[in-house]
Amino acid sequence: MEITDQIEATARELGERVRPQLEDAKRRLMSANDKVIDYIKENPGTCLVGAVALGFIVGKIARRA
Amino acid sequence: METPEKNPTEKNPANGRAADDGVHSIGQRLDRVSGSAQEAWGQTRDAFSDLSDAIDIKARVRRQPYGTLAAALGIGYVLGGGIFTPLTSRIVRLALRIGVRAAFVPLLKDQVAGLAEALADGDGDGAGRAAGKGHKASKRT
Repeated sequence: MEITDQIEATARELGERVRPQLEDAKRRLMSANDKVIDYIKENPGTCLVGAVALGFIVGKIARRA
Repeated sequence: METPEKNPTEKNPANGRAADDGVHSIGQRLDRVSGSAQEAWGQTRDAFSDLSDAIDIKARVRRQPYGTLAAALGIGYVLGGGIFTPLTSRIVRLALRIGVRAAFVPLLKDQVAGLAEALADGDGDGAGRAAGKGHKASKRT
């Protein structure tokens, strides 16, 4: 029982220590995602043409390889 | 003995009617070409606007930005000739594997849960039976 309690305590401590970092990373990812979505919505033509061009290049590279 | 030779200036008059006609016809041709080019450009623009209205790209991008970008990437990949390549076969194989796993895992989970329930019920019955036997044995004694 003591070992289980120790493991539980360690896990809880680790979780509490890591949780703020995880929250921060999550917030940053959400912010980056919002920015990317806003950019795509503001410049749909540019993004679509860029995506087609990128796909074309990848297709060419895959064909050569 | 006069030769009926005309004056060279009369043959190709610098400011004559024939030259004027030539300039006029070239101008007309240029006008015609530019008119047809403008017409073709207008038709192309109309066709593109009709196409964009039909597809409604902006609304599609607004609704599903990542999906539309992925579709554009795929179109570019196909246009680049990457469809019958080892990379494509690898991607398709990976997608199939993931799909099969995603389809089978819930099924397996249900099966395992059902098996566990059946085992638990069986143990309960066994325990009940054992208790019943014990009860009978105690009755006999």
